[in-house]
Amino acid sequence: MYLNNFEYFAPKTPGEALDLVGRMGNKAKVLAGGTDLIIMMKEKMIQPEYLIDINNVKEFKGISYEPGKGAVIGAATKISELEYSPVIRDKYFALHQAAGELGSVQVRTMATIGGNSCHASPAAETPTPLVAFGAKVVISSVSGDRELPLEEFILGNRKNALGEGELLTQFILPEPAPKSASRYWYIGLRDAMEIDAVNMAVNIVLENDGRTVKELTLVMGSVSPRPLVSVEVPGILVGKEFNSELVEKAAQAAAGEAKPISDIRASAEYRREVTAVLARRLLQAAFDAAREV
Amino acid sequence: MNKDFTQVGRSVPRKDGPIKVKGEAIYTGDMVLPRMAYGKIKRSPYAHAIIKKIDYSKALEMPGVLAVVTGDEAPNKWGIVPQTANEVALAVGKVRFYNEGVAAVAAIDEETAEAALDLIEVEYEPLPVLTDPFESMKRANEVRIHEDAPENILHSGDQLFGDPDKAFAECTYILEREFSTSYVNHAFLEPHTSLASYDTQSGQLQLWSSTQVPHYLHTQLSIVLEMPMSKIRVTVPAVGGGFGGKGEASSSDFCAALLSRKIGRPVRIVFERSEVFATNKGRHPCHMKVKIGLDKDGYIQAVDFDNTMDGGAYAGWGIVVMFYTASMIHLPYKVPNARANVRRVYTNKPTCGAMRGLGGVQPRFAMECMLDEMAEMIGISPYELKMKNAVESGYRSVSNLHVPHTEYKKCLQTAAERSGYLEKHGKLPFGKGIGLAGGYYISGTAYTLYQSYKPHTTVLLRVDTEGGATLHCAAADIGQGCNTVMAQMAAEALGIRYEDVHVISGDTELGTFDLGSFASRLTYASGVAIKEAAKQINDKLFEVAAGMVGCRADQLEVKDCRFFSKFEPKKTIEWAKVVDVYTNSVGTLTGLGHFSPPRLKGIDLTRGKRVQGANIGHSPTFGFSCQIWEVDVDLETGKIRVDKVTEAGDCGQAVNPMSVDGQVEGSILFAMGQALYEEMKVAPDGKIINASLHDYKVPTAMELPEIDTTIVDSYDPTAPFGVKESGEGPVQPTIPAITNAIYDAIGVRFTDLPITPEKVLKALKEKREKEKSEGK
Ligand SMILES: Cc1cc2nc3c(=O)[nH]c(=O)nc-3n(C[C@H](O)[C@H](O)[C@H](O)COP(=O)(O)OP(=O)(O)OC[C@H]3O[C@@H](n4cnc5c(N)ncnc54)[C@H](O)[C@@H]3O)c2cc1C
Repeated sequence: MYLNNFEYFAPKTPGEALDLVGRMGNKAKVLAGGTDLIIMMKEKMIQPEYLIDINNVKEFKGISYEPGKGAVIGAATKISELEYSPVIRDKYFALHQAAGELGSVQVRTMATIGGNSCHASPAAETPTPLVAFGAKVVISSVSGDRELPLEEFILGNRKNALGEGELLTQFILPEPAPKSASRYWYIGLRDAMEIDAVNMAVNIVLENDGRTVKELTLVMGSVSPRPLVSVEVPGILVGKEFNSELVEKAAQAAAGEAKPISDIRASAEYRREVTAVLARRLLQAAFDAAREV
Repeated sequence: MNKDFTQVGRSVPRKDGPIKVKGEAIYTGDMVLPRMAYGKIKRSPYAHAIIKKIDYSKALEMPGVLAVVTGDEAPNKWGIVPQTANEVALAVGKVRFYNEGVAAVAAIDEETAEAALDLIEVEYEPLPVLTDPFESMKRANEVRIHEDAPENILHSGDQLFGDPDKAFAECTYILEREFSTSYVNHAFLEPHTSLASYDTQSGQLQLWSSTQVPHYLHTQLSIVLEMPMSKIRVTVPAVGGGFGGKGEASSSDFCAALLSRKIGRPVRIVFERSEVFATNKGRHPCHMKVKIGLDKDGYIQAVDFDNTMDGGAYAGWGIVVMFYTASMIHLPYKVPNARANVRRVYTNKPTCGAMRGLGGVQPRFAMECMLDEMAEMIGISPYELKMKNAVESGYRSVSNLHVPHTEYKKCLQTAAERSGYLEKHGKLPFGKGIGLAGGYYISGTAYTLYQSYKPHTTVLLRVDTEGGATLHCAAADIGQGCNTVMAQMAAEALGIRYEDVHVISGDTELGTFDLGSFASRLTYASGVAIKEAAKQINDKLFEVAAGMVGCRADQLEVKDCRFFSKFEPKKTIEWAKVVDVYTNSVGTLTGLGHFSPPRLKGIDLTRGKRVQGANIGHSPTFGFSCQIWEVDVDLETGKIRVDKVTEAGDCGQAVNPMSVDGQVEGSILFAMGQALYEEMKVAPDGKIINASLHDYKVPTAMELPEIDTTIVDSYDPTAPFGVKESGEGPVQPTIPAITNAIYDAIGVRFTDLPITPEKVLKALKEKREKEKSEGK
């Protein structure tokens, strides 16, 4: 379980970091929390020649929020910081929930939000709510920045849209709409240290009557190679008065859209079944919460 | 409980507690010796293959590599049970499970040793892989795992007591069921670790090892290394859990010793978690067919027990575990007629062995669940059925197991009362349930694993001005707390305080003989030896004290660090002053005590005839307990949440009640893992596909339910200080209690493990469909 020999760089400014990433190209790996990277190195799945540790670049860290505009989260922000951030809890509750369920206290203290999306595990915790919020990512390189919706950034298991010399630097979350609420949950065997069999986030916006669904996003994790945004569920609920019959229809639709596989954690059949359960529960919980705001 | 005790019965912090909490305890893996080298083991990528050639010349050429050993250099077979010893330090000629060791390397650092493994070239001829015991028996003609086992069976046993056929014919209620249990590992925190140091001048070897059985390890090292035991010293540093998995030697022990002898430098080997799973020695998956018959009043008349055990690649503790499963049907209920047909089958999987509560957990699962079902057949509460059949003090089973003392009924009563079982059972809303199960376990065994009737434990007590009181014994404290309870019992016997007793243990040279930490034996065994040793010391000190206070020695008592006259309490003197006087005149005082268990024979009492394997299961005394679990089943996801566990246990006199609570709580979480989460998953090619603690799911702190434990008032008058056991008994009721609770919640009786949400959901669906088709 030993790592290969590598050269270690610890840039202090965004400029230094981007310069290193640009120069080293594919021979380098970015080290954020290391909770995925180091394991892959120990198991000899990858043997990078260089590691570029981005933890000392303070511009890549932290959460800022401007009322009316939304939040910007640095890619190297720790999951535990998200978990305990009052802004995330108040404005982006589903992300707060997901952050609190990732791994264990130890893992959350090391792991970063950027690493979670870059590693792009289908079972990852935070991409699901982030996509539900319509998050965009900022991709930086020496030649400048570009933005992409997160759902286009994650391409599949361990595949993302970063090109050579590019670094993920920020997540941009739009301001939540009035009368909106979000909820996240997952299905797994244990209540900690679990790789989710299914996870899901719902972000709902209500009309002023507090009953009619104005907008809705339902995103599923772990049932396809990348976060799966439901097309059918909004079709069923948007513009309608929220009721349990429609919820049931929506839940079945979500289960129908899911493309789960069978593996050592759960069978495809079970995953599909509990997808409907999660959808039903989260739609209801998000709706109830949205009525309160 | 004995109210006169001052040291026994006290909840004291454990001797090893503070240093462990502070991170200061020294485990074998923390130790570094001058010139120490690092060992690594090359492992087979096949689960069953002939080794055609091993070429390690390239590895030897690598800078930093000091030596390589292969199986041919140490071909002597070892095994904890000498009659079935069939393991070798490293595979010889053939590998029988995935990741079996084929060569070991020593190098100047671990990194080099690991890199050198890739340079060892091994040529294999793969053989068909058998991962299922039934397939293994069926294909034995064509694929043989061991040459000397033509049916791929290590051993089988048939036991008959009384006349079960006749008894069944007269029974009013008969139930037959099949159960199977899963392939689980202990998941102790500290992996197997060994540090060997061979001195080329003296020819002496010292081995520091994370082991539960320094003595049995000592004997196995002597066999494999072909060295007399007197030239080998085994030392046990702090151990991070064993639960049976360190209850026999580990290949790390042999490889470290062989490499050290070869290079004349200390060699340390620390297993990775995947190696812990690969070498396993966990609980046997059992496929059991059980039949129980009750008379019209609900009294058990006969039990028929058939067990096919998946033993994995080698013998290990196998034959012993097998006969334990057979013996465990005789208690804690009165069973006048019984039959057991048991067999342990070889498969190409990591070997099964001893695991906390060995032999008991599987048959207990079957029997406690079946009695729950039979109570329903009769129309009475499972509580009533179990109370009716529970054994009483002085009971002797038809297989001649003797129970000198039991408070089992008190356990059932206490747990039922504290949980409100009778008010809740059968009456909770659908999805919520409550389940009851009982259990028992041995407090030590009657025999050594090799033919010998020597004492199983010897304790040396030393008293003098310099050391105060010091207890020597080679017992291994693996975290179960024997150093603490031995000190408490010694303090009680000497009339001093626990805090003042020094304990020197875990070393075959500094400590006097002990058989090892298994079978929940040490509290009882060391207790007997301590009493005898302390008496020798007290006899001498009483004489001196008598002279000093001016009364007859037989009128003295010693307590709270003072000698005093029973009749004139004013005639008193401090213990330390008497020791000073004794030491200054006569010198150091020692007392030596032994424990030899009563030799009980496994016979069929109805015929007076010996029954093969029935010596196994005898114990000087037994612990008993009852658990009641309350669960909440999520009917949509199948997830089981445990709301509360109520436990009541008879561990005899609790020496350290705080430790007993710890053992019980630990046992509950441990067994809950097997019930709901844990399972080693094996691919058809024999590879373990979840050999990490990330994918092998032990319950976390988040799964820990609310636990209410009661130590019921108990004192075994035949036992030293009234003690029994609490380390393995409390795992027995867990699995059936959860299973019975799930039945109470959703009306489905599960008969295989683990009971995962997926299985629950599937069962609920089937139940609904069945009810629909029946028009309910
Ligand atoms: C015990 C354990 C439990 C876990 N449980 C969970 C869980 O429950 N849910 C879950 O989702 N995950 C879990 N994980 C996985 C892991 O912790 C997360 O995916 C984490 O968010 C990864 O972040 P990191 O900062 O540690 O990434 P790293 O390991 O540092 O990096 C991961 C990958 O992303 C790349 N990378 C990181 N940051 C950037 C960047 N800014 N720009 C470009 N590339 C980048 C790295 O080069 C690497 O390839 C667990 C891991 C462990 C060890």
